[in-house]
Amino acid sequence: MKSPNEINIIKMKDISMVYDNGAIALDKVNINITRGEFVFIVGTSGAGKSTFIKLLLREILPTSGLLVVNGYNINNMSTRELPYLRRSLGVIFQDYRLLPNKTVYENVAFAMRVIESPRRLILRSVNSVLDIVGLREKYKCFPSQLSGGEQQRVAIARAIVNNPSVIIADEPTGNLDPETSWEIMDIFQRINAVGTTIVMATHDKTIVDTMQKRVIAIENGRIIRDEASGGYGYET
Amino acid sequence: MKLKTSEYFIKEVATSLKRNNWMSLASIGTVTISLFILGMFLMIVVNLDRMASTLESQVQISVYLKDDISQKQSEELKEKLEAMQGIDSVAYISKEKAMERFQERLGDQKYLLDSLDSTNPLPNAYEITVKNPQMVKTASKEIEKLPGVDTAVYAQDVVEHLFDLTQLIRSIGLAIIIFMFGATIFIISNTIRLTVFARRKEIAIMKYVGATDWFIRWPFLLEGVVLGFIGGSVAIILLRLSYLALTQKIYDMMTFFPLIPLYPFLTYMTIAIIFSGIIIGALGSVISIKRYLKV
Ligand SMILES: Nc1ncnc2c1ncn2[C@@H]1O[C@H](COP(=O)(O)OP(=O)(O)O)[C@@H](O)[C@H]1O
Ligand SMILES: [Mg+2]
Repeated sequence: MKSPNEINIIKMKDISMVYDNGAIALDKVNINITRGEFVFIVGTSGAGKSTFIKLLLREILPTSGLLVVNGYNINNMSTRELPYLRRSLGVIFQDYRLLPNKTVYENVAFAMRVIESPRRLILRSVNSVLDIVGLREKYKCFPSQLSGGEQQRVAIARAIVNNPSVIIADEPTGNLDPETSWEIMDIFQRINAVGTTIVMATHDKTIVDTMQKRVIAIENGRIIRDEASGGYGYET
Repeated sequence: MKLKTSEYFIKEVATSLKRNNWMSLASIGTVTISLFILGMFLMIVVNLDRMASTLESQVQISVYLKDDISQKQSEELKEKLEAMQGIDSVAYISKEKAMERFQERLGDQKYLLDSLDSTNPLPNAYEITVKNPQMVKTASKEIEKLPGVDTAVYAQDVVEHLFDLTQLIRSIGLAIIIFMFGATIFIISNTIRLTVFARRKEIAIMKYVGATDWFIRWPFLLEGVVLGFIGGSVAIILLRLSYLALTQKIYDMMTFFPLIPLYPFLTYMTIAIIFSGIIIGALGSVISIKRYLKV
């Protein structure tokens, strides 16, 4: 089922997603994303961005169409393979989703512990990713003692600690002020520079316009624009 | 499973039991009560069963012989009866012996026999006990076909009622045991659901970073098993104490009451109750976590 040397890290062919209540969230979407790309998924609220992200994580199954992520055929894979698909992806949400009763260090180490990584590797990797996000000094803090930006940086550290080939982020700057948002984008850019693919859903016009990366615009579940290097495209 | 992983699981279970100490106590109590009732029923069913079989084994077939057969024919018949499948014992009751018994049974009303003028209308007979009381009916039909046999009779009503009664006791006992089992699983799964619910975010994160379902399940499963094991252990202690006290009381009143011997019955009982506790705990936790694994 898995073919890791595939250059298309994400392949969507005629993907449609209709929810149980009849809402058509995605309508015959065709997209290829190759290794190392930095892609923005843009669109207004309700456009279908989160649905797109959930499909990549196989949190939901498409109603029709073909979807391959990191060599896993989402439609045909067994649930036993799901953990391994997830290990190849790093996921970041708008609301950080940290464990409040665990320290910064433990929150990041948790992601390694639950996939049974060796303890010595955990210590080394956690310290190294905390360096990348600039939170080495705060490793003992609890999430409640951190700012929103810092909490999101912990979430990023957790997402990258298992060396995923793709980072999938759903509005990671949605709860942050512009200045803090740029700190997050700076980290993303550094992660992308070492070859990690980044797929980020957002409706932050300034960020998209400034970064000049590939932009896939969704409206009412349809792709209305796919530009290799562009801006948000229209006023929000 | 790696050593450090099991360490992690044990720590998780200890933390959870400490954090939910009241709920844990409540579910241990529920398991104890359910398994105690379950155990009591088992003991009653097993003993009633035992009593029924004892009574059943006392059911006899009386084989009445024709008046005109010779001593030799009678002895041949005895050999044939003894050779039959499933026959336990064959005892000869002469017509004189039968009359004696009859007189004894009549007691004060012996005068009723006066009109017989010392003729003896009772036939010679064989009294047969069978190994398996379920065979009484077929065996007596077979016997009636043998030469020299007039009729073969047994206490048909008693036997058939006894079968019905034991069958009923077994069915009711089984139904109650299944019901108690289900109810206990339900209660324990609700307790563990509290733990699972309190940790649903953690479970979701575990799923997102690629933990396997079994890795996520283990601590909850262990928690259920620990609760079930403790509950079962308390139940078996109470059961043993009550059973010993009860049997002592019964023996004090009726020495020959056919109760099941204490051992190995109590040993099997202990194993069964503790094992049930563990199974109930494990099933309860697996059921309660199922929904939260769908992320
Ligand atoms: N679980 C759901 N059940 C039913 N409809 C849903 C569900 N999730 C999203 N939708 C609908 O699908 C459409 C796209 O939603 P979503 O993907 O969340 O958009 P976005 O993330 O771009 O705001 C919306 O119309 C929304 O109401
Ligand atoms: Mg959304």
